[in-house]
Amino acid sequence: MAMRDLVTGGAACAVPGTAASSSNPFGALANAILGSSSKTQELKGLPGSAVNVPGPSSDFRTGAPLTTIPGLETEGQQHHQPVGQNYEFLAGFRTADHGVLADAWNEIHQPPALQTQGGKIEAQFQEFEQIYNRGANSMLPPAWDGPPQGVLSRFLHSFVDSGRAGVPFRPAALPVLGLSEGDKQCIRDRSFIMAHHIFADKSEEYINAQVNALLHSLDIDGNERLRGPIRGSYPELEEYWTESQGAFRSGMPNPADKWVSEFARQRENGDPEAWAHSFEQLHGTNGWASEFEHEQSQLASVGQVRGANMSHIAAMEQSRMLAHTLAQNTDPKFQNSKFLQFVSKMSRGELIVDENQIKPATGSLTDNWADEYQAQYNAGSSTWADQFVHQDLPQGTDKWVNEFVKENQQQGVDDQWVNEFSKLHVQDWAEEFGQQVAEGALGDSTADDWANTYENFLDEQLLASKQHSGASRGVYVFSDMNPYVGHPNPLREGQELFRKGLLSEAVLALEAEVLKNPDNAEGWRLLGITHAENDDDQQAIAAMMRAQEVDPTNLEVLLALGVSHTNELEQPEALRYLYKWLQNHPKYGVLATPELADSPYYGDVARLFNEAAQMSPEDADVHIVLGVLYNLSRDYDKAIESFQTALNLKPRDYSLWNKLGATRANSIQSADAILAYQQALDLKPNYVRAWANMGISYANQGLYEESIRYYVRALAMNPKADNAWQYLRISLSCASRNDMFEACDSRNLDILQKEFPL
Amino acid sequence: MESSLQSAGLLEQMKIHLSTDAGKEVTKKIGLVYQLNIAPKKIGVDEEIFVVDLKQGKVTKGPYDGKPDATFSFTDKDFLSIATGKMNPQIAFIRGAMKIKGSLSAAQKFTPDIFPKPSKL
Repeated sequence: MAMRDLVTGGAACAVPGTAASSSNPFGALANAILGSSSKTQELKGLPGSAVNVPGPSSDFRTGAPLTTIPGLETEGQQHHQPVGQNYEFLAGFRTADHGVLADAWNEIHQPPALQTQGGKIEAQFQEFEQIYNRGANSMLPPAWDGPPQGVLSRFLHSFVDSGRAGVPFRPAALPVLGLSEGDKQCIRDRSFIMAHHIFADKSEEYINAQVNALLHSLDIDGNERLRGPIRGSYPELEEYWTESQGAFRSGMPNPADKWVSEFARQRENGDPEAWAHSFEQLHGTNGWASEFEHEQSQLASVGQVRGANMSHIAAMEQSRMLAHTLAQNTDPKFQNSKFLQFVSKMSRGELIVDENQIKPATGSLTDNWADEYQAQYNAGSSTWADQFVHQDLPQGTDKWVNEFVKENQQQGVDDQWVNEFSKLHVQDWAEEFGQQVAEGALGDSTADDWANTYENFLDEQLLASKQHSGASRGVYVFSDMNPYVGHPNPLREGQELFRKGLLSEAVLALEAEVLKNPDNAEGWRLLGITHAENDDDQQAIAAMMRAQEVDPTNLEVLLALGVSHTNELEQPEALRYLYKWLQNHPKYGVLATPELADSPYYGDVARLFNEAAQMSPEDADVHIVLGVLYNLSRDYDKAIESFQTALNLKPRDYSLWNKLGATRANSIQSADAILAYQQALDLKPNYVRAWANMGISYANQGLYEESIRYYVRALAMNPKADNAWQYLRISLSCASRNDMFEACDSRNLDILQKEFPL
Repeated sequence: MESSLQSAGLLEQMKIHLSTDAGKEVTKKIGLVYQLNIAPKKIGVDEEIFVVDLKQGKVTKGPYDGKPDATFSFTDKDFLSIATGKMNPQIAFIRGAMKIKGSLSAAQKFTPDIFPKPSKL
């Protein structure tokens, strides 16, 4: 995890002679942030490499409070270190060559003392870069390998060093770093910013030349500076978030928030004062930035990749997590410590580097926006902030809405706008409603509920738009970014993956196959079956329908369609397909009368199937179909009988065991159901559907804690199983685990798996 | 219960669920009577009426003999969405997908967790 990297400096930097744990996390953090004292040598001793800081290492011991950083595996004992030791710790640092942290702290605390200009800038940049570099990796889709952190950061650092030394930077041939467009854009923009700072005294040409050299080595086109469209819309967007968030977060007292008001009061320049006040309003540990980032990540999943935003947000997210952990420490002295404040501020992007000082920024969400703000800030005007504060909400909404709609054409975003807009109004209305009715029949306040529900609403909207965009039932939705496209024989690959039980991978391979050969019935059929086993009946139906188009007589396809429709409680369709099964069967086709095909009446169909069963009792398939049929009519006892007969004939059919289990579960013989599911799982351990069904059985029995574990396991295998996510949420609420709602809503499997292992 | 609605399947399951221990817990916890007016396509049109009696622990078809604590009206699909947790009842209410009559506090207790989930074949 990137966070771990951040703290441990990317390499196991075990500082010798420190406290109980093998790698003192706080020490490592400081190490990572500050680099090492051998920094004076050019191009050496960079954060990515394992170099120990000799001098102050003895002081690291005092800085233990960070043992509970998420993502770290060191077993932490909670150390509650009073502020005094922090002073000591940082004082120790001041004795090192780069006492940057101390400098920064002094900056806030007192007027600046003698500091080396270059050292400060550089170190601050280091810090930011560290975070940025680590961050760039984490939020992006796993389809590519992340950039080699060490190389990149080393390279950037050498650039900074050369700048500081006044030596023209030489372009170097670097190994392929695998930077994404988003990364490149980010690096490009930031390089320009940095260069302007470092070479403040040099000419524009020189700056450009330097940056271009840097970019050239990284293989980035220096001219494609995409600034602009994104910029304008965000400030208002954030305001809306803050407004909407602020109303509901006010109930959360977070001691770390005191610093916001404290600091704002202490600031000498009150330029965007109004803005600062409104910024003050919004907080829990989830600042609007992270809310927005959450939203952003959802957007990205709808297909819109804004690399620059993602990496920056990710960086902030991580430092936010860091701040969050620090804030968790309940020692009040620690919480009020300036260090925490500093880190918190960094995490919220409130502090940015400006000229030679750390200045409060306005929480830059995108680099472009930060630039703009910086420009305005330096110019001493705060036009948009003032304007904004004076604008009426609805008016502002329109303007923002127009801009936003104008600048983004992708369909996902239109939906998102709708979400925002309706969410906004929902909030206002909900607030009023909550206030007015609170005294009335509603009893206890539903503020939290509302807060949760709009998140759900958003999720639901996104989900709905994704699933139904251009498609109602029956149209297959392909995955984006399929690594198997172009594979020489995707069908075989898919079959292999299916056999191994890697269902989600098999889906991708099979999709590649049917993209290549849309008439491949076997490809569609297997795709359908894989989706069904992955607990996605919608996609299963869509795939199976395609298979049926290509090959209308394939019995397995018809049966599968019957089953999926049964699961979706669509009785008439299920009946139709099961009847078709009969019709197309070589042996029993004779039994089927054509009139029935269009609107089969249940009784008739059942009768016919029974006849077929009598014709050949050794045919397991007939019994399977009968079992499904009886499920439709909720004749569970008969269904169980049929399945058991079939199982006697085919004991190793895992899907049959699952059917038996599901039938039992639906007839509330949940305990027996679980036994059947176990059998299925013994035969096929990666059978997502069976795992999810087990969760359902436990939940239906009221055993919510258990059910959670099974749902999580199913979801770990197939994160796209939407049903399971809904059920998980219900179980969480029944088990009174509302603390995990956020993890569930943000589909954070890591947290959930840690919390609920099997 | 004869019905062409998809919801009927779920309600059937609810019926037998209420006789289990877990179901009995639900009646103890809630103890209210809900009437559900479920329409196939559009609210209010061709409704089928069900009563989910969480006092006595039974599910019947037909209007309630007496005054239910809360009455809901929705479409077939929407009811299923709510019962399986896909759609939050409060959101449904806001969007007009669910109409409520009767006691609001009773209505608030109408949540997905009272319904058993269907297992998948």
